[in-house]
Amino acid sequence: MDTSSPSAFVNGSLMRRYIGQKVRTVIQVVGSDVGSVVGKSTDDLQIIVKGSPPTTTTPSTYLEVIGIAENENSIRAEVWTNFGNSFDPVNYNELCKLANGEFKHLFI
Amino acid sequence: MTANLTAGAIAKMLSGEVTGEKEMTPILQVTEIKMIQQARRNQELSVERYKVALSDGIQSQEGMLSAASNALVKQGSIQIGSILRLTRFNCSPVRNRRIVIVNEQEIIAEKCNIIGNPLQMLTPNAQSNSVASSPQAQVLQRQAFGTSTGSNQQQGTRTEFNGVASSAQPQAVQRQTFGSGTGFHQQQATRTEVNSVANSSQAQVVQRPSFGTSYNQQQATRSVANSSQAQFAQRQPFVSGTSPSARPYVSNSNNGYGSSRQEQTYYSRPPVQPQPPSMYANRSPVARNQATPMIIPIAALNPYQGRWTIKARVTSKGELKHYNKTHGDGKLFSFDLLDADGGEIRVTCFNEMVDKFFDVIVVGNVYLISKGTLKPAQKEYNHLPNDYELRLENGSTVEQCYEDDAAIPRNRFRFRYISDVENMESNSIVDLIGIVLSICPTGLIMRKSGTEVQKKALQLMDISGRSVEVTMWGSFCNAEGQILQSLCDSGAFPVLAVKAGRISEFNGKQVSTIGSSQLYVEPDFPEAREVREWYEREGRNAPCISISRVYTGAGRQDVRKVITQIKEENLGTSEKPDWITVTATISFMKVDNFCYTACPIMNGDRPCSKKVTNNGDGTWRCERCDKCVDECDYRYILQLQLQDHTGVTWATAFQEAGEEIMGMPAKDLYYLKYEEQDEEKFEDIIRKAGFTKYIFKLKIKEETYGDEQRVKATVVKAEKLDYSQDTRSLLEEIHKLRTETMNPESSNYRSSAYNSGMGTSVDVPRREFGLPAANQFSSDPRPLGGMILCGACGSNGHVFANCPSFMSEPQGQHYVSTQGRNTGRGMPRQHVGSSY
Repeated sequence: MDTSSPSAFVNGSLMRRYIGQKVRTVIQVVGSDVGSVVGKSTDDLQIIVKGSPPTTTTPSTYLEVIGIAENENSIRAEVWTNFGNSFDPVNYNELCKLANGEFKHLFI
Repeated sequence: MTANLTAGAIAKMLSGEVTGEKEMTPILQVTEIKMIQQARRNQELSVERYKVALSDGIQSQEGMLSAASNALVKQGSIQIGSILRLTRFNCSPVRNRRIVIVNEQEIIAEKCNIIGNPLQMLTPNAQSNSVASSPQAQVLQRQAFGTSTGSNQQQGTRTEFNGVASSAQPQAVQRQTFGSGTGFHQQQATRTEVNSVANSSQAQVVQRPSFGTSYNQQQATRSVANSSQAQFAQRQPFVSGTSPSARPYVSNSNNGYGSSRQEQTYYSRPPVQPQPPSMYANRSPVARNQATPMIIPIAALNPYQGRWTIKARVTSKGELKHYNKTHGDGKLFSFDLLDADGGEIRVTCFNEMVDKFFDVIVVGNVYLISKGTLKPAQKEYNHLPNDYELRLENGSTVEQCYEDDAAIPRNRFRFRYISDVENMESNSIVDLIGIVLSICPTGLIMRKSGTEVQKKALQLMDISGRSVEVTMWGSFCNAEGQILQSLCDSGAFPVLAVKAGRISEFNGKQVSTIGSSQLYVEPDFPEAREVREWYEREGRNAPCISISRVYTGAGRQDVRKVITQIKEENLGTSEKPDWITVTATISFMKVDNFCYTACPIMNGDRPCSKKVTNNGDGTWRCERCDKCVDECDYRYILQLQLQDHTGVTWATAFQEAGEEIMGMPAKDLYYLKYEEQDEEKFEDIIRKAGFTKYIFKLKIKEETYGDEQRVKATVVKAEKLDYSQDTRSLLEEIHKLRTETMNPESSNYRSSAYNSGMGTSVDVPRREFGLPAANQFSSDPRPLGGMILCGACGSNGHVFANCPSFMSEPQGQHYVSTQGRNTGRGMPRQHVGSSY
């Protein structure tokens, strides 16, 4: 397991803390363009992911994206993982909050 | 002290016999006082005057105090009950009524109980700032009629006519009003009341044949009274008595437009009655102009009513619902209204009306609604105390009232005591208020329809000293349920008000929420304060009798534990078995005897399942049923080793759970192994079944084996782990833990916090599993009371390396074989929230 460049768990609102750094988040696909995918984060904010997804993304699938946060609502993706259709965004959102808040020491 | 009032004085004054102090200086009692602003013609300023009702013990009459006496009223020398002798006064007819203008008076007594039973009604309106509410209820009559139409009054007050009528010296006041008026003001004659009055012995009824000609009503007091000493009653329903109607001061309660020829002395407050003329003083005659709304009380709405307007506050707004029926689809939403008299009604909008009104309606605002259709109420969905409900159609109007009417309460509760609930029928609706004693974490229940729904239960105790289990379903669990959970976890005992809870019978009596229920946490009502004070005073220590037999058998709510708690808490050692839920992985399965031959004979709706013995010739004999069968059933009896991040335990899984785990019926597996001798496939299956995470419902019980007591665990149910749900319970525990650490005084959860706290803090040590020597917990930044907690079993006092759980496994050798999988032990949990 390569832990040389750890990525922080973020949701839409936490991204701004990690601009320029590696982050990971899960978005629900809303639409896709050439070269980018527009998705909704687990806290209902819009996120734009630049890069090319592995497969054509159908709206409402969940994708995990790991990459550098360019600004507070866009990521330049390096790794894409398809999480499927059944994913609980509420739990993920709580995880992001805890991982950046009280339990930050447990993560990065 | 009883001063003697000059009886009969009022009668004389009214009849014209006495017009001034020259004739007599009567001693009268003040029964009502009201301040009015009066604009004098020649002055710009409005002057404060006090209007009073003076009584001689038998009747009362309206009067005005001199401006000079204002100070006396203000300082309290003249108040309701004061006895005055009128030393200079004038009694003259003004606009067909007689008003006494008191220029000078002598105060005989400042405070006195109302003598006699004079009837009058000075200020029928609640709105008016009348000071005069006569202390004795009987005095105020209000008539209630179901169908009276609206007076612009807004009070749909009910008269306790009867009260008056039956009192000893009733001055009967009858108001008869009957529909003389045109169009709108119809009054349904209150014949009923009249009768009641009439029956009283001394009811006096006066007839006054007046008929309300002009649209403003007026009643004709057609008295029906039969009683003898009638002393008139005329009532002018004047109802509105609005002081702002600036009319000659006398006229405060005037019957406006002079149609009545009566002399007024009593004003009744005919709630819905005859059009109070004064109302019309402010507005244009309703006869011609439809523009002015006639506000009627909700309780007076009926389908035979012509035009009506109600003014009420929205107490609750339902969700937008879609439906499809055979004739089409549609959408609807409903909201509940409450008006100043406490009348409630539900209003529903369909389809286009939804679009029109959904955004307009806001809970808490006051609206004027008219031209809706009245329909009979659907009692199964509508629990408001009204036989009708409203539907808004194309012509309906909803207008917001911007000036907040303080007369309309925000909510109408009919709180009952929990001790009453015990005797109430199931399925009835009730409002409760009490203190939340305890609350359980949210559980998921499978409904018969197959859907899962969230459920949260709490114990509510109130002043009656009883407690009941209140269950909330669905979205309540996440919203108010979560708030209550956090409050309770931090040691507080919040006040909860429940509106429209349904009573059900399940382990005694229970209360559940329904779609239209509302929950209020720590509300700001007087009842809430009362409950809180009671609790502080005595409730805390009072013994609490529960009317819901809370028993942890089938009523158990998903008590989540970790495996080491089984040992620690000595589960199963009490008389009853303990039922718990654990999330664990199967780390080992004994394959030698995974099933047994069972009797297939049906015993009711369950097969007997007792072990059958082989007779040798291919038949099987069952001892219980005492029969022989050719074909026996094969039922699972799996010995499993269950492991979670805290520890290991053995459990036995029977048929149903076994099938879930193995994925195939026991018979097939049996054949696979023995008949077909397909070892490979068999092992394959076994391997697949192992090391999967499940949510197990275990029944723990201590049983005696020979001389030995052993705690045995049986798997009642095994479900594949739903990460989503499991994560949520973990989240709850995390939250609980956090509020815990913020409030270290709350003791209840401490012990469970330790173990549930493991869920989070063990993240750190788990990574270091490979280093048994390290005391992982020293790196725990949140000291849990400074105890040394073992990473393996979670108990305190030792570290991982010395963990006695290593030794304490039944069939130790099996455990040894799994040693190597220590690092694996942590694995399953790491899936959740791992951050690689």
